[in-house]
Amino acid sequence: MKINILSKSKNQIKIELEGAGHTLCNLLQKKLLENKNVDFAGYDVPHPLVTKAIFYVRMNGASKPEVALIKAVNEALKLNNEFKNKLDKALEK
Amino acid sequence: MKIEVQEKDEKIIRLIVKDVDVSLMNSLRRIIVSEVPSMSIDEVVVIENSSILQDEIISHRLGLIPLTTDLEGYNLPENCSCASEFGCNLCRVTLTMNSEARDQTQTVYSGELVSENPAVIPVSDKIPIVKLSKGQKLKFEAYARLGKGKKHAKWQPVSMCTYKYYPKIEVPSKECKDCSKCVDICPKRVLGMKGKRVEIKNLLACNLCMDCVDECPKNVPPIKITWEKNAYILSIESTGVLPPEKIIQQTTKILEEQLTELKREIEAIKK
Repeated sequence: MKINILSKSKNQIKIELEGAGHTLCNLLQKKLLENKNVDFAGYDVPHPLVTKAIFYVRMNGASKPEVALIKAVNEALKLNNEFKNKLDKALEK
Repeated sequence: MKIEVQEKDEKIIRLIVKDVDVSLMNSLRRIIVSEVPSMSIDEVVVIENSSILQDEIISHRLGLIPLTTDLEGYNLPENCSCASEFGCNLCRVTLTMNSEARDQTQTVYSGELVSENPAVIPVSDKIPIVKLSKGQKLKFEAYARLGKGKKHAKWQPVSMCTYKYYPKIEVPSKECKDCSKCVDICPKRVLGMKGKRVEIKNLLACNLCMDCVDECPKNVPPIKITWEKNAYILSIESTGVLPPEKIIQQTTKILEEQLTELKREIEAIKK
């Protein structure tokens, strides 16, 4: 995966994620929107056959968008880990 | 989050997942369909083919045969240490075939493929490849490799993978006329009659088609079909290449890898 910065300022960031699609972006967007400091978070997959997604995050000024992005990824990792552990337990029964 | 195994056998697993967001369910579904690797014939060297089908058609048919997969024993060709286009013992399995119709017309089945690794064999022995008439021969060497469903559907480990909302059905007996029309129309046989009352027989089979609501003769149908918030039924039907529980476990592993990689990349642009 590779990230290209399309535009960046104090409160907002627009990045292009190479090799990412709806699988990661939808999860990331959902987690970003749970963050109260995030004003807007959205993504677009410009072409269905090209695995590239454009992600846009705007903050309300309380923190930096990169910080929010990392927080969202951590939340998603936590969620996935919980699913993994609960699944292993359910399968043992 | 709550996970419960509703149904499980060697091909199918059905999980009830509660208190989880739809975005996670969709990520898991998308990964199962397009990212979980499985083994499939990818290259064929035809030595002799006097059958009526062309080499290309036979190769295509061979690719579609599901092979039991050993994920731990093999690497994806793009990640293999050999870095060779042809492949090595760690990223390729050779299957051979030598068949001839001697006395009469015969069908060549997948069971006749001889694999160099007994852990990588066709899921079923009964898949027809080609029909040979008397005197025709088929001899080839096929190379199976790990691959992902996003490149070709032959590498999909599942024949079906879906999730649906957990249904919620309400039939208040007071307002209901008990005409049994909703019971008769239901294609999934979710409802039944208990004496003169409508009762729910098989809640999980409901696919929220709302036929029962449309069929009700009352202006405001007393039967209400809704769904639980944040509760899903995830159904996975494996083609037999991997056990279904292994597929879903592999999926969480892949999602973790992808998220970790994404985190690393974001940290790099932060600086």
